[in-house]
Amino acid sequence: MELLRSRRFIGIILILLGLIALPYWASRYWILLVLLFSLNLALSQMWNLLAGYSGLISLGQQAFIGLGGYALAVFSVYYGFPIWLSIILGGTVSVLFALLISAPIFRMRGVYFAIGTWTVAETLRILFSNWKYVGYGMGLFVKPTYALSFNTIYFTALGAGVASVALVYFLLRSKLGLGLMAIRDEETASETLGVDIFRCKLCCFLISAGVTGAVSGVMYLHHIFIQPYSAFGIDWTVQMVFITIIGGIGTIEGPIIGSFLYVFLHQWLSEYPNVSLLILGSIAIGAILIAPKGIMGTVQEKLGFEFLSPRRK
Amino acid sequence: MPEILAIKNLTKTFGNLTAVDSLSFDVQKGEILGMMGPNGAGKTTVFNLITGVYKPDSGKIIYEETDITHLSAAHRCRLGIGRTYQIPRPFENMTVFENLLVGAEYGANLKGREARQEATEILDFTGLLPKKDLFAGKLPLLDRKRLELSRALATKPRLLLIDEVAAGLTEVEIENLLQIVKAIQQRGITIIWVEHIMMMMNKGVDRLLVISGGKTLMCGDPKECMESKEVQEVYLGVEEG
Repeated sequence: MELLRSRRFIGIILILLGLIALPYWASRYWILLVLLFSLNLALSQMWNLLAGYSGLISLGQQAFIGLGGYALAVFSVYYGFPIWLSIILGGTVSVLFALLISAPIFRMRGVYFAIGTWTVAETLRILFSNWKYVGYGMGLFVKPTYALSFNTIYFTALGAGVASVALVYFLLRSKLGLGLMAIRDEETASETLGVDIFRCKLCCFLISAGVTGAVSGVMYLHHIFIQPYSAFGIDWTVQMVFITIIGGIGTIEGPIIGSFLYVFLHQWLSEYPNVSLLILGSIAIGAILIAPKGIMGTVQEKLGFEFLSPRRK
Repeated sequence: MPEILAIKNLTKTFGNLTAVDSLSFDVQKGEILGMMGPNGAGKTTVFNLITGVYKPDSGKIIYEETDITHLSAAHRCRLGIGRTYQIPRPFENMTVFENLLVGAEYGANLKGREARQEATEILDFTGLLPKKDLFAGKLPLLDRKRLELSRALATKPRLLLIDEVAAGLTEVEIENLLQIVKAIQQRGITIIWVEHIMMMMNKGVDRLLVISGGKTLMCGDPKECMESKEVQEVYLGVEEG
């Protein structure tokens, strides 16, 4: 077991070193792919934390994508704040907004929670597209003055992806993770064992909002423009759902596998723009029918193999 | 003996059904209070009211001289009220050990190594230690019942509510559980115990409370209670004359 663990540890280090060294040997195309992979990973890992571990099926993660992106634009362009500070502020704004909406939104359960979160994001979209300060529906320039090097953006994205996996891993092995798993298995019993359900779920909601907001800032570093119809569009969440379901919801490795597949499918399908969504949709439906637990979920069930296990001994 | 729990005029209705009807009783520190009553007498509802799973329509619950009537279930657990469920409700996708950790970390507010130590000790006490790494969903009935008890103990309760832990078990298994419950009392934990099996109520409890239709029928010495005509009538369905 010790040997296995150290081998696994070395494996992880090697992969990470390979990814860190990527800009020095790979083509720009490959760097871009890994960049997209990392960002998708971070975002879908946060959706996985909500839906897979807390039972909160949110369809409104785009609210935090939009807030994070706009925060980057407003703080760095309007106020001249440093870019990194603006990204962190984007996360902070997202957490505060999540806190604000948590009181009404947590009264809803299941599918109502999904619709509720979606509605909140739609409201933001309409609000932002009618708000002069952020340029109405036209949107804002994200980085007219400072341009970061492509490599810097790459390293930031990679960091975000790795950090999101580590965050969920350690979170699940903490007291919060124990409570979440208990709630997922038996809500009533968990309560009579002292687990404060509302607090556990709120905690996840806030963490997920904060990280999504900040990661969105990193993502918009390599965009030129932000405008409300795309920033607050549900496509973001659909993408996270696709990645998590294909990879395996409720597993830490799921979003890793899912993001990998998604990025490649996306590249490949861009050659067939008129049927690409159709194919992605069919794959998702197929996965749900054949392997409802996703790739990693099925592998774990059949082989008992867990690469990053949240189990505690 | 001072009382650890006092129930005052507790009432709970579900639609037209009055499950608990202005019920009052108290529990002395350190005793095992047995609770009996025919199906639908309101025993489990009383448990749900004491632990905060349900909110009462009226009445008060005083625990260690504090009014806990409006506290959440989780809060009550942290104050030291533990319970088991009649139909075991293990966290099936978690190991036996993790099941106990939930109680130890949340209910008893223990951290890291302390929580693991407490969990290990309890598993040793209830005899589940060899199965600590099994998934709780894979356990047979006796072990599930043991797990219910172990998990409740991990919250370090001062008052433990046991709901039909012996139902569905063989005689040897029942004897085994009786020993465990007695040993729990030895640790200074006050117990309210709901059970249908006469033998256990006779041997196991200090006082017996018989309820019917959500009201107290009789309360006192277990033997006297069971021999009383009133109780036999309601509980065993003995016809008059």
